Amino acid sequence: MALTDPAFDYDDYQSRPDLDPPPATPPITAERNILDPGFELTLRPMRYPQFFDMYRDAIKNTWTVDEIDFNDDLADLANKLTPAERHLVNRLVAFFATGDSIVANNLVLNLYQHINAPEARMYLSRQLYEEALHVQFYLTLLDNYIPDHDERQAAFAAVENIPSIKQKADFCFKYMGSLNGVTELRTKDERRQFLMNLICFATCIEGLFFFAAFAYVYFLRSKGLLNGLADGTNWVFRDESMHMNFALEVVNTVRAEEPDLFDDAMNQRISDMLDEAVDVEYNFAEDLLREGVTGMSLKDTRQYLEFVADQRLTQLGLPLRYNASNPFSFMELQDVQQLANFFERTVSSYQTGIEGTVNFDEDF
Amino acid sequence: MALTDTASTTQVADTNGHKPGDDITFVDDAPTLSAPQMRVRKRDNSFEPVDPMKIVGRIQRCGEGLDGVDPMRVATRTMSGLHDGATTVELDELAIRTAASLIIEEPNYSRLASRLLATYIHEELRNTNVKSFSQSISAGRLVGLINDQTADFVEAHAAQFNGAIDHDRDKLFEFFGLRTVYDRYLLRHPETRKVVETPQYFFMRVACGLATEPDEAITFYNLLSSLEYLTSSPTLFNSGTAHPQMSSCYLLDSPLDSLESIYKRYTDVARLSKHAGGIGLSYSRIRSRGSLIKGTNGLSNGIVPWLKTLDSSVQAVNQGGKRKGAACVYVESWHADIYEFLELRDNAGDESRRTHHLNLANWVPDLFMQRVENDWQWSLFDPKNVPHFVDLYGEEFERAYIEAEEAGAYDRQVSARDLYSRMMRTLAQTGNGWMTFKDASNIKCNQTGAPPVAGEPPRVVHLSNLCTEILEVTNQDETAVCNLGSVNLSRFVTTDDAGDPTFDFDKLGEVVRTAVPFLDRVIDINFYPTDEASTSNSAWRPIGLGIMGLQDVLFKLRLPFDSPQALELSTRISEEIYYWALSTSCDLAERNGPHPTFEHTRAARGELQYDMWADAVPSDIARFDALKERISTHGLRNSLMIAIAPTATIASISGCYECIEPQVSNLFKRETLSGEFIQINAYLVRDLQARGLWTADMIAEIKTAEGSIQDIDGIPDDLKQLYRTAWEVPMRSLIDMAAARGAYIDQSQSLNLFMETPTIGKLSSMYLHAWKAGLKTTYYLRSRAATRINQTTTTTNRFSDQDAVACSLENPESCEACD
Repeated sequence: MALTDPAFDYDDYQSRPDLDPPPATPPITAERNILDPGFELTLRPMRYPQFFDMYRDAIKNTWTVDEIDFNDDLADLANKLTPAERHLVNRLVAFFATGDSIVANNLVLNLYQHINAPEARMYLSRQLYEEALHVQFYLTLLDNYIPDHDERQAAFAAVENIPSIKQKADFCFKYMGSLNGVTELRTKDERRQFLMNLICFATCIEGLFFFAAFAYVYFLRSKGLLNGLADGTNWVFRDESMHMNFALEVVNTVRAEEPDLFDDAMNQRISDMLDEAVDVEYNFAEDLLREGVTGMSLKDTRQYLEFVADQRLTQLGLPLRYNASNPFSFMELQDVQQLANFFERTVSSYQTGIEGTVNFDEDF
Repeated sequence: MALTDTASTTQVADTNGHKPGDDITFVDDAPTLSAPQMRVRKRDNSFEPVDPMKIVGRIQRCGEGLDGVDPMRVATRTMSGLHDGATTVELDELAIRTAASLIIEEPNYSRLASRLLATYIHEELRNTNVKSFSQSISAGRLVGLINDQTADFVEAHAAQFNGAIDHDRDKLFEFFGLRTVYDRYLLRHPETRKVVETPQYFFMRVACGLATEPDEAITFYNLLSSLEYLTSSPTLFNSGTAHPQMSSCYLLDSPLDSLESIYKRYTDVARLSKHAGGIGLSYSRIRSRGSLIKGTNGLSNGIVPWLKTLDSSVQAVNQGGKRKGAACVYVESWHADIYEFLELRDNAGDESRRTHHLNLANWVPDLFMQRVENDWQWSLFDPKNVPHFVDLYGEEFERAYIEAEEAGAYDRQVSARDLYSRMMRTLAQTGNGWMTFKDASNIKCNQTGAPPVAGEPPRVVHLSNLCTEILEVTNQDETAVCNLGSVNLSRFVTTDDAGDPTFDFDKLGEVVRTAVPFLDRVIDINFYPTDEASTSNSAWRPIGLGIMGLQDVLFKLRLPFDSPQALELSTRISEEIYYWALSTSCDLAERNGPHPTFEHTRAARGELQYDMWADAVPSDIARFDALKERISTHGLRNSLMIAIAPTATIASISGCYECIEPQVSNLFKRETLSGEFIQINAYLVRDLQARGLWTADMIAEIKTAEGSIQDIDGIPDDLKQLYRTAWEVPMRSLIDMAAARGAYIDQSQSLNLFMETPTIGKLSSMYLHAWKAGLKTTYYLRSRAATRINQTTTTTNRFSDQDAVACSLENPESCEACD
């Protein structure tokens, strides 16, 4: 699909006679579901306080690209990385730069339109900012990492001229475009269609493509390479984890409100979609690792992708498909609290948004 | 270690008694060792098929005597990560990383990884034809790494030194320690970047760089290589080298309020930073924003733009590529730019007024804390109008401040609590903006003992250093310097006659008596990057002997961090170290004379540190009285002796917990320039193993709980109590412990404070207590992120339908699915 498809237009919507007028805000006692069409504006009483909490938590984790120090990275790229690793990094950064843009587009074109709860839309607004921040981060990376002008141009246009990345983008576009022309989720099929989009972006793109990409970064980091990339990625990963949790929470909400949407056929479609995503990502891995990277074999990578896909299925309450275990011990490091040595690395865990007033009788 | 060597390939049996070739199923997924198509590229670029049994054999030899370690498992996993055509070096590195990744299951994998790495390092050096310590030094001299004096010294006693080298001591290293030594401490050939020394040669090189007699060098080598004591990183990096800059810290007085002076400081900072020193510097003398500049009739922009330049300058000077430059800026709490200062590390706002890499510290007068407590106003001044403030402390400062305030000389007035609240906010948001107390730091400093002499610069402590453990006087002609070293307390727990663990104070005293002369020696042979540093250090001869591994001692003796026994033991240890440091310094003074400014010190008037702390009484006052007698006769060779540094890196090398800190987590990872490494609390693991509780599920639970064991079912309460983390031990006990020990710390301590979710209320209570307890300085406030990264390797079903329903619809408070 083309990214220039018209987004939802309110004026146009108002003037179209073939559609019902937007529903008047029903009384708050009425049963309403989150995917019901409309423009819910009422924040109190709040129907989904968990989304508002997520919004506030996200704000506490604000970071900026300026805080990241790329100096080590440039030295590593020049002196420490093997050619095979350098190829991996260039491909990876090219994917990241495109990937987050696609996610941002889908958020605006699909998610924001159909998730009808003002507190959830607050979270989505915040997520949109974070996607832009991630794009800025990867833009800065590309500008820094690839000094050669032509090569850099090519990387920015990765989605057109690198087949393994184009294939991933096509996968995204397929699900992004599946809602084309659907301005309201009235039928069960339309709602299922939307859920496929939501689940695709949460579990396949953010939850699998990005998780795989993070694995490459963390592999390098476990060898002490590209600390700037790792620091920024850590923050991106934290954000993406939140995005995925938000989306899964929406899925759970829908499931609680309209359990019949999740019939066997739907569950099968989800499982198959994840399987397709594993294949697409594996093709990308073949490209990334084509020069041979010690410590990261293709066999292990396949197993890792299947392991991650299984985790997504579990999170969706679906049966495991692969029964794979995690082959990458360096990923275990990512689950463990960090102890930053301040002489060497910037500390990524401080929060913004501190509450309270001066007093002298609290426990500490 | 080349795993594909054609040398001995004895047939080995794995730990389960299987013969090679048997069909064995492992815990991992890879079911077999055969990988027929795999080849490795050797150093001469020829290819050779991978022989799995050679890999197993190598790993097995390194694993001898290590319980709970399965070499076959390491070999299998290593093979699984290989690709066709990998080099032998890559293969070796992968085997090491693989062994290290299993530490989370069994701490002995750390020893295995360490031994594999030791073999690898020895192989790397052997390939450059260096076969002995003296050859390593000659090779180093040839390429300009080693200074002539040290090289001549070694050459003259080559046989003796070579004979004293004990490579078996490599086995004392945990993996992370040796990895750090290999990645950053071993000297490397300038072009090939290959090591020119082994870990034991490295210790001997450091020893020879500081010694004048061969016996002395060997004594010191034995001390270092036993990991009972380590000097600070700059000494480890540079002793014996062509640039023996061995000091850790430099403290610079604020530049004067002039363009020339400000720019001279940038040069000073760059010079000091280049040679691996951490910098503390004050900016309290610089005029504030809006102040008139007479020369141009313009208005000053205050200190922020100068600090922005400093930020860039510190970034530009990388410490020889070994670690990044680092500086901490101190500003007194009455400076009119204080609010802007506290915003310097915010991550929003005008970038031209942000300094992301500078550390910030508040230099807080007692008067400010009193006004916070009483909820009074606080006046902010332009230093141009009150230039005398900076050189006053105690009652004199208070008098001058109130006088200026009453005269209306202030820039503006604020509520003291408003400023205090802003300070707390900065601590919570950035961990920075350390609270250091000006009056305690001066009144309890040995160097500020004598009244000021007309015509001489006043002897005032103007700031602390980068890590808030050094407190020394500074002025425009004197840049304070300190050389540090730390005793590894974890190695002093022995077994008494009844078979119970006990702390060996005699051995501690012995180690202190050996270490002090070497710290003192650094002063004479150090390379000083600036004249001001040289002037100060030869006059005051300060040293900073510290400790590390207090947490190990408490674990071994099974004392919870906040128990009365822990407080008592910790205080007693510091008393012992202070006593022996003074005693040794007095011996040195007897031989070489007291340091030139001894007459200006409080010690010269018979006052020692504990005399300056109201409630402190040494456990053995008689020996201190006798010592005071000796000091009055011979003086002291050093004006200051004790400072507890953070010891981040040297504690890693020694394999112990950092300085005086409680453990941060039972399970965490270290991020350093050499990559990430997992660390698990081996004491906890052994206890759980002994009680049959160490299972895969337990590991997963500890991981899910991010290293806390408090809410894990089935762990007995005594273990929960003992193995609390820094986030779970009350901070009050940490502060009280620091204050009790403070009576024997003549400089200060790098005291980190921890709070999971800080609020202004908690912080203001905590720091008021720290001030009232008489602490001179505090260091970082450690807090944690608001949300976390999703765990990738734990497969608990966190979003099952039922959980989600319970969470979102009925009772959001009770649901833990999203925690």
